[in-house]
Amino acid sequence: MNSCSLFEVDGQMKLADRIGAVASAAADYPWLGDLTAENILRWIKLELGDLLREGEPPEPPEYGRQHCLAQPLSPILHVVSGNTPHAALQSLIRGIIVGAKNRIKLPQGGLPEVDEFALRLPPALRPELAVQLDPSWARDAEAVVVYGSDETVREFSQRLLPTQRLLAHGHRISFGLIRGSYDQMVVDGAARDVFVFDQLGCLSPQFYYVAGDSEGFASLLAKHLGELCLAGPATRRGYEIAAALRGCREEWKFRAATEPGVVVWESTGTLDWVVIHDPGSAPAANPLHRTIFVKPMPSELESAVAPIRPQISTIGLHPVNLESVRQAIRLGAQRVCRIGQMQNPPLTWHHDGWPTLASLVRYVDIEGMG
Amino acid sequence: MIGSLETEILRFLSEPSDDKFEPLALTVFEHQRRKNPVYASYCEFLGTPQRIASWKDIPGVPQQAFKHAELRSFPIEQTRAEFRTSGTTGEGYGKHFFQSLRLYETAVQRCWDFFQLPRHNFVALLQHPDDAPFSSLCRMGGFLTDFQRECFFITRNGCLEIDRLKDRLSDREKPLTLFGTALAFLNLMEQAPNLRVELPPGSIAMETGGFKGSGRDVAKRELYDRLCGQFGITTDSLWNEYGMTELSSQFYSYGLNRPHRAPPWMKFLIIDPNTNEEAPSGERGLLRIFDLANLWSVLAIQTQDLAIAQADGGFLLRGRDPGALPRGCSRAMDELLQLVRG
Repeated sequence: MNSCSLFEVDGQMKLADRIGAVASAAADYPWLGDLTAENILRWIKLELGDLLREGEPPEPPEYGRQHCLAQPLSPILHVVSGNTPHAALQSLIRGIIVGAKNRIKLPQGGLPEVDEFALRLPPALRPELAVQLDPSWARDAEAVVVYGSDETVREFSQRLLPTQRLLAHGHRISFGLIRGSYDQMVVDGAARDVFVFDQLGCLSPQFYYVAGDSEGFASLLAKHLGELCLAGPATRRGYEIAAALRGCREEWKFRAATEPGVVVWESTGTLDWVVIHDPGSAPAANPLHRTIFVKPMPSELESAVAPIRPQISTIGLHPVNLESVRQAIRLGAQRVCRIGQMQNPPLTWHHDGWPTLASLVRYVDIEGMG
Repeated sequence: MIGSLETEILRFLSEPSDDKFEPLALTVFEHQRRKNPVYASYCEFLGTPQRIASWKDIPGVPQQAFKHAELRSFPIEQTRAEFRTSGTTGEGYGKHFFQSLRLYETAVQRCWDFFQLPRHNFVALLQHPDDAPFSSLCRMGGFLTDFQRECFFITRNGCLEIDRLKDRLSDREKPLTLFGTALAFLNLMEQAPNLRVELPPGSIAMETGGFKGSGRDVAKRELYDRLCGQFGITTDSLWNEYGMTELSSQFYSYGLNRPHRAPPWMKFLIIDPNTNEEAPSGERGLLRIFDLANLWSVLAIQTQDLAIAQADGGFLLRGRDPGALPRGCSRAMDELLQLVRG
């Protein structure tokens, strides 16, 4: 934590008003987390110091032997993917809180939740939204936040100047480690982590490594996931997605028929969900949409996940203790949490390893004052 | 028994008759279920009855299965040939084993007869089969050229022999049959951008294989426009072969937006990926192929290619557009594995 201060920006609403507006707009979106004014203030304080003093007293706070101000990078261009509205709204909220002007390049199919959320904001805080990117948006942006495939990230990074800050959220993989005995709560949590957002979020687990009876865990997971999907079945999949899901299922059913240890549990007559027990240790290709692999805990876990280390986001753990946390950090985790909480990061989490507000400001050091 | 079954299929290939397809397909299925333990296990797993009534009920093995198992319907020690898939998806390659290539060769020849495709002055943008012994496509080229080395224009090391090819194309006396992968044609156009020839009337170009695994993509219309411009032929003289290492026969189409059609010993179903049942007429779905010439492995293959059945008995390929898949910030592992394996 440092002691920088976020000062008022000309023509921009005051910080307290922005916080109030965000908290009010977010009240109807519980899946965004606990975005109360109090929590937002705590978050700001944690990342940027004593911001309650915005403009008062007039001189900037001391920072070591100088004074320091935090100013928003503005405008911010948010390039968001079509998977879930979650990341798009989180990114917008961060931009609003630091005091930036926000522009959002939406995916081709649009994101109605973003439009709705924007309308809940006071006009002065509303982002500009567009499906087609106006080149001037990329040119004028002081910061560009990109969510999407590595190709999308690469494309945008090539358009930017070195002076523009790029916050790239490319492909990520999350998974879980069940290292000890577990109860129904753990299995239910593991199922919920797969179920939420149709498994399309960067925090969605793609596989679980299980110590002990991995097949037994897979069987229980199938039961819980099946029950969740009964309550919230997936909509009929588009052809391309359905083809990928069907291809994966039939391939693994063939393997289940011909390879020892491979077992498949699936929704009947639909593509709602599938649990695949794979005795192999290497991560397998996963078409997502509630496709989850369960694997025995490898004796050489670090080697098994080494190929995906740069992409690892969250590792869900059971149990969470010093030993398991140390192991997850060694594997390359950027976030470690309990199984069942993989989709619920706290407001203050470091998305892809960065501070989420402090990454959207520039620090102005002021020497020679007073 | 097996000899007579092969003979029976060979006879069908030469004298096809629609009413004989089903009984022959069911005989082949029963034979494969008896002789192919991997396939037998799969049928057992699916709960397929020992006796089925229709060729449509024959279980299709996922194409990917050839990467995981050896699907032989004959004793391993009698293996006489092996073709391999390219392995471009990063999960190793699939293997297709043969006790004999008689059926394979006959299917290739009869297929070209069926579609009245010319075989004169063959120019194969392929390696000679001796240089690529595991390539089914090169072997196919071999059968169509009597294995004459001068018909092949890609070296053992994969280089296009541009100068020799230019010489060959400069012979304007007789129609030519150009045959190669779409990628080979693309390489030719890039390596010899100024090459412009007017191929004699009756010439055709046959492309196949797409751009899978090459990291490049060119729309079919663009490829055809460029081929027409470079070789002075019309779009209707451009053919596409749709085949795969896991099959012994191929589908063909010509021009743009025309359906692929099968020879009489192949049939297909369009499978709704959501239900895994036959799709309603006119709906898009996954292509399941039944090939009588696939006696030595399995007759029915479930592909991952999307298609729509046409009233004339063919199908229009409506392949997956990877860009249409909203992958978002979750990394699709298949992409990653490709990346890791470079």
